[in-house]
Amino acid sequence: MTDFHPLVKRLLDGEVTLADLPPALRAEGEEALRLLAAVDRERVVVSPALDERVMTAVRSRAAAPSAWRWLNRPREIRVRLRPWMLAPALAAAAALVLLVARPTPPLPLAPRMVTVRFVLVAPEAHQVAVAGTFNQWDAGATPLLRAGAPGVWTATLTLPAGNHQYAFVVDGARWVPDPAAPTVNDGFGRRNSVLTL
Amino acid sequence: MTIRVSILLVVVATVAAPLRAQQDVAARLAGRVPQEVIALVRQLSADAAARGLPVEPLIQKAIEGGAKAVPADRIAAAVRGVVVQLDGAAAALADAGLTPPDTETIAAGAFALNAGLDGRDVASLARVAGRANRATIALRVAGTLSALGVPAAETVTLVSEMMRAGRGPAELTALPARLQAEVARGATPAQAATGLARAAAAPGRSPQPPRRGPPPRPPN
Amino acid sequence: MQAVLAGDTERYAELVGRYRDRYARYAARMLGSADAAEDAVQDAFIRAYDQLAQCREPDNFVGWFFLILRNRCLAEQRRARGAVSLDAAGAVAAKERPDGAVEANEQRHALQRALLGLTPEQREVFVLKHVEGMSYDDIAERLGTSVPSLKMRMHRAYDRLRAHLRDQA
Repeated sequence: MTDFHPLVKRLLDGEVTLADLPPALRAEGEEALRLLAAVDRERVVVSPALDERVMTAVRSRAAAPSAWRWLNRPREIRVRLRPWMLAPALAAAAALVLLVARPTPPLPLAPRMVTVRFVLVAPEAHQVAVAGTFNQWDAGATPLLRAGAPGVWTATLTLPAGNHQYAFVVDGARWVPDPAAPTVNDGFGRRNSVLTL
Repeated sequence: MTIRVSILLVVVATVAAPLRAQQDVAARLAGRVPQEVIALVRQLSADAAARGLPVEPLIQKAIEGGAKAVPADRIAAAVRGVVVQLDGAAAALADAGLTPPDTETIAAGAFALNAGLDGRDVASLARVAGRANRATIALRVAGTLSALGVPAAETVTLVSEMMRAGRGPAELTALPARLQAEVARGATPAQAATGLARAAAAPGRSPQPPRRGPPPRPPN
Repeated sequence: MQAVLAGDTERYAELVGRYRDRYARYAARMLGSADAAEDAVQDAFIRAYDQLAQCREPDNFVGWFFLILRNRCLAEQRRARGAVSLDAAGAVAAKERPDGAVEANEQRHALQRALLGLTPEQREVFVLKHVEGMSYDDIAERLGTSVPSLKMRMHRAYDRLRAHLRDQA
């Protein structure tokens, strides 16, 4: 079993054309192009019933009273930078809490909402998410995005005031508490990070 | 008129919440945890709700176990552990005179217990707080301080001093961050807490005078 | 997006309609089954709605929704690891082209089967570039990785595909 010649791979990548290949590689090049031609690019049409199933689920969530309903009347919050502690070396983590506010008298029932930015410095990671009490511990629900500085991942959320527990999930499987945040026993032999807003 | 409507809504919300939560248990856990865990959590929730305990912490713990791919028996043990902490917190609050204890305060107390405080610490803080919403915040903050490594005695002292000095919820909630800043400067958690407690009781910073009447509405 | 954030739930249906086919194809090629793809896309839209309340960067919805869907597909593949049914590939490629030659259809089936033999990461870069038509730079930005590492993955994919197809022939 032989691998494709590097030049043929560049052909597959679209960087060179068949004409650029030396005669000895033409046959291999044509084989490669036949491979690409077999790719199924046909649009997949999803049944419209999917829309209805999504909206049914969505409507029942909207109907259930929950903290997120209060976003209709966004509460404003205070600005304060928490000291950002960057642990040295790889896979260090820091939580930067940004509280943004304008003074408004709170309504008796509306929970105060606070904007929080989660930051993880993890240059070795391929994907990072945050999972906690605010998103049903769903490691797929709140991915962090690369922030621009190398190895820095962030996500910004608006959470109701109160106690939240969370952890970062690195590469889909590794649960990593936030070393710069207070931690508690999770009852399963690991630690959860605590966010008190 | 407005106030009365608000109180009515609070009452309805407090009663409706546990009932709804129960029906929700199966729906919220479906597909996330094994069947036997769902059955157990439903039963424990029903019992807990009947005792006036909040049900949400049980559901959250089960969901967490499912998400972390923990075996069913460990999830069951953890959920039972949560019930024990909730009962412990409720008892401590009752001792402190907060009867009947409200579910948010119980949950905060359970958090404090999980973070390393004990029933007497919870009761002590609740006594100083005097009423449910202050106790809720005090317990959340105390639990967080304990999670940062502050020993129980210093935690209780610091949070109590802050409350006695009339500091409000915002300042209490800010304590953990201030403590972390002190620790970053080289103090141990215990030293940092003691320092902050002294600062809280310091003269020259008079507590806010109690508000009279509704707060002024901001211009639209 | 702002409308949905402001509480107008029904507007979410517009988002679903606008993006679902676009992402269904990616999910179908990744999971090898139209049914699995529909489930993944449906699930991702519901999760995205749950998180919408907390998403503070609504302009980023596309990139962020894609990551939710991607995670869902990767989780699904991990769950199904070792149990990938080659018949599933048939289910996707089963939409025979009315005008197509039998041989062309067989080649499509064969390639989809071969695709399912790649690792999820290899399959993903291949699908994004050769099915979705994205450039290496765009893929790198979307996945948060570097172009050289993508090319390395892709070139291994090419070789494995070649080997699979030869074995099948």
